[in-house]
Amino acid sequence: MILAFLNITWPVFADALALGGIFALMAVGIGLVFGVLRLVNFAYGQLMMAGAFALAYGDQWGLPNWLSILFCFGVVLVLSVLLDHLVFRPLRMHSPAVMLVATFAVAFVLQNIALIAWGSFGKTAGSLGVWQAPWDIHGVYIRKIAIIAIVTAAVCLVLLQLLLTRTPVGLHMRAASMDFRTARLLGVRANRVIGGAVLISGLLAGVAAVMLSVEQPQITSTWALPETIYVLMGVVLGGLNRPIPATLGGFSIGFAFGLLGGILPSSQSQYLPSFIFAAVIVVLLVRPNGLFTRGAAPVERV
Amino acid sequence: MTALAVESLSVRYGAVDAVRGLSLEVRSGQIVGLIGPNGAGKSSTLHAIMGSAPIVSGDVRLDGRSVVGQRPEDVARRGIALVPEGRRIFGELTVEENLRLGLAARRKQRNGGGIERAYELFPMLREYRSRHAGVLSGGQQQQLAIGRALVADPEVLLLDEPSLGLAPKIVDVVFEALTRIRDGGLAVLLVEQRAQRTVALADESHVLANGDLRLTLGPKDAGDTDQLVAAYLA
Amino acid sequence: MNQARRLPELLAPVLLVLATALLGLEVSPYLQTYFLDTLVKVAIVVALYVFIGNSGVLSFGTISFVALGAWTAGVLTVPEGQKKITMPGLSHFLLSHNVGNVASLVLAAGAGAVFALAVGLPLMRLSGLAAGIATFAVLGITYNVLTYEQRIGPGLNSFSGVPQTTGMWQAAIGALICVVAAYAYQRTRFGRMLRATREDHAAAAAAGISTYRQRLLAFTLSGALAGLAGGLWVHLLPLQVGGLYLTLTFITLAMLVVGGSGSLLGAVVGTLALNGIYSFFTAATNTVDVLGWHLKVPAGTAEMVLGVLMAAVLILRPAGITGSREFSLPRRRRPVADLEKARATT
Repeated sequence: MILAFLNITWPVFADALALGGIFALMAVGIGLVFGVLRLVNFAYGQLMMAGAFALAYGDQWGLPNWLSILFCFGVVLVLSVLLDHLVFRPLRMHSPAVMLVATFAVAFVLQNIALIAWGSFGKTAGSLGVWQAPWDIHGVYIRKIAIIAIVTAAVCLVLLQLLLTRTPVGLHMRAASMDFRTARLLGVRANRVIGGAVLISGLLAGVAAVMLSVEQPQITSTWALPETIYVLMGVVLGGLNRPIPATLGGFSIGFAFGLLGGILPSSQSQYLPSFIFAAVIVVLLVRPNGLFTRGAAPVERV
Repeated sequence: MTALAVESLSVRYGAVDAVRGLSLEVRSGQIVGLIGPNGAGKSSTLHAIMGSAPIVSGDVRLDGRSVVGQRPEDVARRGIALVPEGRRIFGELTVEENLRLGLAARRKQRNGGGIERAYELFPMLREYRSRHAGVLSGGQQQQLAIGRALVADPEVLLLDEPSLGLAPKIVDVVFEALTRIRDGGLAVLLVEQRAQRTVALADESHVLANGDLRLTLGPKDAGDTDQLVAAYLA
Repeated sequence: MNQARRLPELLAPVLLVLATALLGLEVSPYLQTYFLDTLVKVAIVVALYVFIGNSGVLSFGTISFVALGAWTAGVLTVPEGQKKITMPGLSHFLLSHNVGNVASLVLAAGAGAVFALAVGLPLMRLSGLAAGIATFAVLGITYNVLTYEQRIGPGLNSFSGVPQTTGMWQAAIGALICVVAAYAYQRTRFGRMLRATREDHAAAAAAGISTYRQRLLAFTLSGALAGLAGGLWVHLLPLQVGGLYLTLTFITLAMLVVGGSGSLLGAVVGTLALNGIYSFFTAATNTVDVLGWHLKVPAGTAEMVLGVLMAAVLILRPAGITGSREFSLPRRRRPVADLEKARATT
C-alpha cells in the first residue's frame, strides 16, 4: 500500500533490493580488507571486471554456466592474491592515504590493461542473460535476476556472519580489525588473517561480478568502476570500520539508487551522485571517529 | 629450572637506546619484578621478548632456545604470554570471546590452561561471560587480560604494569592471583611502577633506569626506601 | 645571504620550464601540442604540490578547481554569437558578458581560489584517509554538476569556440607564475609553518601553529593556481568534462608522486618526465617512428605505463625521483659542521 502511494511498483522495489544486495556484498568485500589491512581498495571494481571478462570468455568458449562461474571465481581470487602480495603487503607500513593512492594507481593499470587487451568495446558476457527474464508471481513480473541477487546476497551475508561470529578464524579477523597489534601478541597469525580476508573479499567480488554481469552484460574496461565509487561512498557513510554498518551503508546506496532511479524522471535523478557525495562529506566532518579508528587510537584531527 | 633467560639485551628505537645490555633470568615457579621510573625501558624489555620491539643485540631464550627474530604471534605460540600495558582487551567482544582469543596461542600438546582455568582463577569472569568486555571495570578488565593470557597455558607470563589505574584493594586481588599463578609453576616477569609492593611480592626484583640494570633486591629490602630512591635517581 | 644560496632551488624548475618552452618553439607544429600540454600540466601539478607537498595531506579535489577555472575562462571568452548556439542553456548573465584573454585567466584563478576556500573551510580539519575521501567527494560533485548543469557551461559537450590564445609564451608564463608562486609561498613563514605540521603535528601545535589555518591558506593558493591552469588549458584545447575527472586526477597525481611529492623540483621534474612518456605513448597509438622503427601501441598503453611507474615508485622509492628534495649545489665542506656531527654520535 505504501509502495503504491509512492508510485513504487513491485518490480522496481525488487530491482532496488537486488542492487542493494549486490552493493552490500561489495561493501563487505571492501570492508573486510579495510578492517585488517587499513586499505581502501579502490581497485575492487577492477577485480570484479576481471571476473566478468572471465565470464565473457566462458560464454565465448561455450562453457556451461557453472563452469564459467567457477572460472570467474578463479580469476578473481588469483588476481586478489597477486595484488595482495605485490602491492598491498609491501605498502602495509604506509598510511591509509598512501595505500588509497596506490590502489588508485592499480585500478588504472588494470583498467588500461583491459582497454589494451579488449579495446573500448570489450566483450559480452551473455550466457547468464536468461536471468533477465521475468518470473510471473501473482500477476507481477519480477526479473529472475532480482530474486536471485536478493537471495544470494542474503545467503552470503548470513554465512559470513556465521563465519565471523562462530568460528575461530572469524574471531581472529574481528579482533585483528579492532587491534591488530594486541591480537598478534595473543597468537593470532597475521598472515592467515590477512590472507583469509583477501580470499573472502575475492569470493564476494566474484559473486557480485556474476550478479552485475546480468545487469550489464557488456564488459568494458570501466565495468563496475562507477559502482565501486558509490559502494565506497556508501561504506564510508555507514562506517568503514565495522562490518555491519559498512554493509548497511553499501546496501542503502544501492537501494536508493535502484529506487530513485526507477521512480524519478532522469532530470531529477541525475544529481543523485552529488547528494551522496555531499552526505559523505557531512558524515566525515561530523562523525569521523566512528569511521577511521584503529582500536583505541584516535582519528587524526586538526 | 630457568624458563626465561634474557642476556645482554639491547633495544633501540631509531636513535634512542631504550635498553642497554640487560640480563636477567626467571625460573619456573618464580616471580621476578622489574621496576624503575618512567621511560626506563621496562615496557621495551617485555616487547622485545615478544618480538615486537627492535633488538639490536643480545638474546632471549625460552627453555634454552632463542626466540629472537620470531614474529610476535610465534613467540606467543612458543609459550610466552604478555598482559599488555593498559590491558588492551577487546571491548566490543564478549568476555568469553576475549578469552577464546587467548586460545590462539595454545599449543596442541598442552592439556592445562583453557578457558576454564581463567574462570577458576577469576570467578567473576564467569558471571560476565556473555557481556561485552567494555562494560567491565578497570580491575575486572585486568583480571580478564590476565585470564586471557593464561588460557594458552604458557610457560612464561609477562605483565606490563597491571596495577596501573587500579585501586589498592583491587591490586591486592591481582597480586594475590599472581601468587597463585606462580605457585602453579609459571615463570612470571612483572613490570611495575609501584616499587614497594612489587619488591615485597616478587622473589627477586631488578631496578631498571635509563636502560641499565641498577640494582637487584629481595623481598626483605621492601622496607628500605633509601636504596630504592638512590637506584631510581642514579 | 640565505636567499642567494637558495636561489638554485628556484632557478632549477624555472630553467626546466623555460627549456621546455624554447625546445617547443623549435619543433614541428604537430609536436608543439605536446609541449604546450606539458606546460599546462606543469601548472596543474605544481598546484597539486602546493597543497599536498607542503601539508602532507592527500587531496583528490584539485582537478575540480582546474575544471572550474576552465569553465570560467571558457564561458566568458566564447564569442557571444557562438555561445547562443553551442551553449543555449547558459544563464543570461553568462551569455551576455565577455572578457578579454588575460582577464579570463585572472577570473579563472579567482574562481579556483574562491571554490577552494569554500571547500577548504569545512574540510581542512580532516587528515589522512578522511581528507582523501572527502576531497574525492568534492571531485565527484564537481564532475556531476558540471556534466548536467547547462546554465554554467557546455555540460557534456566539449568547449568549442574558445579563442586559442595559449601559445608557447602564454603557457610558459602561466607555468612560471605557478612555479614562482609555489616557491615564494614555501619560503614564507606560512609555508614553513605548514611544513612543520607535516613533520610533527603535535610539536607544531605546541609551537602555536594553527594547522587548520595554514592548510586553508595553501589549499586556497593551490585552488588559484589550479584555476589558472584550467584557464590556460581551455584556451589551448576544446576541453570536455570527462577529461577533467578521474583520469586527469590519476595522471597528475602520478606525476607528482614519481617526481617526488615533497619538493617543487619534484613536481616539475615528474611532470616533464612523465608527460614526455605519456605523450610518446599517446602519439604511438597513431604510429610513431622511433629510430627507423614503426611503433604502434593500442590505446590505454600510456595510462598503463604511468600507473605501473606510479605503483613502482610508491613501493620502491616513495620519495620519488628527486627524493623529495629541492635542487641544491654541492656544499663546500665546513670543518665546524663535521666536528659537530662527530660529537653527536658519541
